[in-house]
Amino acid sequence: MTVAAARPPHGAGAEMWAAQASVLARYDELAALLAGMDDRPKADPGLSAEAAPLLLHEARLLDAGRFEDWLEGWTSDAVLWLPLSVRAHPGTDQSLLLDDHRRLAERVDWRREPSAWGQHPPSRTTRVVGSVEAWPVPDGLVTRSTLLIDEHRHGRHQALAGYQIHELVGHDLHRRTKILVVPALGTGVRNPSFLL
Amino acid sequence: MTAIDSDTGPADFGHLVQPHRVNRRIYTDPQIFDLEMTRVFAASWCYVGHESEIPNAGDYRTTTLGLRPVILTRGRDGAVNVLLNRCTHRGTVLAAEASGCAKRFVCPYHGWTFASDGQLVAVPFPADHAVEDRSTLSLGRLATASYRGFVFATLNAEPEPLDCWLGEAREAFDTIVDRHPGGDIAVMGSPHLLEFVGNWKLSWDNAADGLHATFAHESYNTLGEMGDTKTVLARDPGSTPMVSKAMRNGHMVVDQRPGIPQGPWATMRRVPFREPLETALVDAGDEGLLDLATGSMINLSLFPNLLFVGNQLLVIEPVAVDRTRLQLWLTSAPGAPPEIDLLRLRVDEDFVNFGTPDDLDMFERVQRGLSIPEMEWIDMSRGLPDSDAADGTIYGPITSEAPQRRYLAHYAEMMTTPAKTRAL
Repeated sequence: MTVAAARPPHGAGAEMWAAQASVLARYDELAALLAGMDDRPKADPGLSAEAAPLLLHEARLLDAGRFEDWLEGWTSDAVLWLPLSVRAHPGTDQSLLLDDHRRLAERVDWRREPSAWGQHPPSRTTRVVGSVEAWPVPDGLVTRSTLLIDEHRHGRHQALAGYQIHELVGHDLHRRTKILVVPALGTGVRNPSFLL
Repeated sequence: MTAIDSDTGPADFGHLVQPHRVNRRIYTDPQIFDLEMTRVFAASWCYVGHESEIPNAGDYRTTTLGLRPVILTRGRDGAVNVLLNRCTHRGTVLAAEASGCAKRFVCPYHGWTFASDGQLVAVPFPADHAVEDRSTLSLGRLATASYRGFVFATLNAEPEPLDCWLGEAREAFDTIVDRHPGGDIAVMGSPHLLEFVGNWKLSWDNAADGLHATFAHESYNTLGEMGDTKTVLARDPGSTPMVSKAMRNGHMVVDQRPGIPQGPWATMRRVPFREPLETALVDAGDEGLLDLATGSMINLSLFPNLLFVGNQLLVIEPVAVDRTRLQLWLTSAPGAPPEIDLLRLRVDEDFVNFGTPDDLDMFERVQRGLSIPEMEWIDMSRGLPDSDAADGTIYGPITSEAPQRRYLAHYAEMMTTPAKTRAL
């Protein structure tokens, strides 16, 4: 599915049109990555084994609250997307969040703000990453893994399950794209601001 | 501090809801909650959905009205119907999906089949089931009325006409709708659904609370400052010319426009993918439309279940005395250039991520604090005495608690009035 292209600017040069089209192209890319995941062939076993430590490391950083270190592992054109359904498109459907690198950095700042009451005191989380699958792409790899997150806060806990898709690129296999699918978001969860 | 025996005596709302204070019991007593589901939610008009969500015959969406499962659907004649989602045979919920398209609702239990206006059109094996008058076995229907495409429904046997019920709130309602080109506003699918461990009225107390923005949303305002943006909430609530209005039937307005002379878009933070879309609009000579990408700066609250906040419709859905679900629906502007809705999506997520979690935390903290039986009262006295305007509307600075007092007075009146409710 693609979003109806925004109209070409009236008196503008192709440069602006390209900038605008680039937003839609990135959105289409995200929707296609999500929608196409179930149809992928069997994963590459060697690549899957290679990818697993990267995903486990990310989970460990997040559970430890090492958000600044986590932020370092993203490319400058990064997108973190939490759709509200598996059929969602970032250009037509609300998302829980769709962060570019700038907003990811703000999110880390927000987590450090003592007056960000929604995360102060902070959630304590335990992530269980499983079923790691990986496929090669021209500049890196794409992975799908299942995720169980147990969250503990204010004396209560909730457990959410879902899966995550990572696009890891370049020499350092930095995160260019992460899509986190949590089906419970479609029925109502308590303060989901711990979800990353 | 007060010595009290129990939480469960008969509820005297003249005592529980006083002009300057309210009793914790209206937030904690399960019996009061049960009564609210009929005397407030069934007896009042409640927002159910928007006509744009069900454009074609057979389209439907499910929701609840005071815990009752209901279906909003469009009939073959184009009319919008609100039906009780309950088979008239054994009581089975008919439509289990959040939304869909169905020419008929067929009960999965025994195959009873209903048209989209609720009429029973077929039962299986009719030879041994003599139904003399099928019309007595239609699905329960609610009285339904629309205002500007927004569908409201009620089980009140003698409802006030919707226009009268909205009353003076129509002015703000019209302003919110009419800012969309052609007056064309639509509602996107897939709401955010957020739950909190607290009573539904906590979100109502918050809706026209101009003071909390300075404290509860300090982190949102700090994030704004980091990007050189003065958010709409980062105003001195004691000196801003923003205005609160408390109206008949518990409706409330906070008009923030007088406090932001630069217009709504100037208050918006650096949301993702903002610049290319913003530049495209400016370049096309549509800079003036950018304000549409953020809210009207009028927070309109229609008691008991609909808040207009930013470009979202926030629907308050009670679940239990200490549990509430918030539905956050995003509105779109079909008559505007496509960049507007693309921006709205990211603008909408900004407060949901960096503001709403703080509100949710406050609601849960309040509910926890209200569990203390020895501390009975919640203070609501700021801004007293209220001025009595001729039309019954109370105006005040946004720090005034007049809106909370006014809606709670209306609430107390409803709770002391036995409700005549019925399904059509």
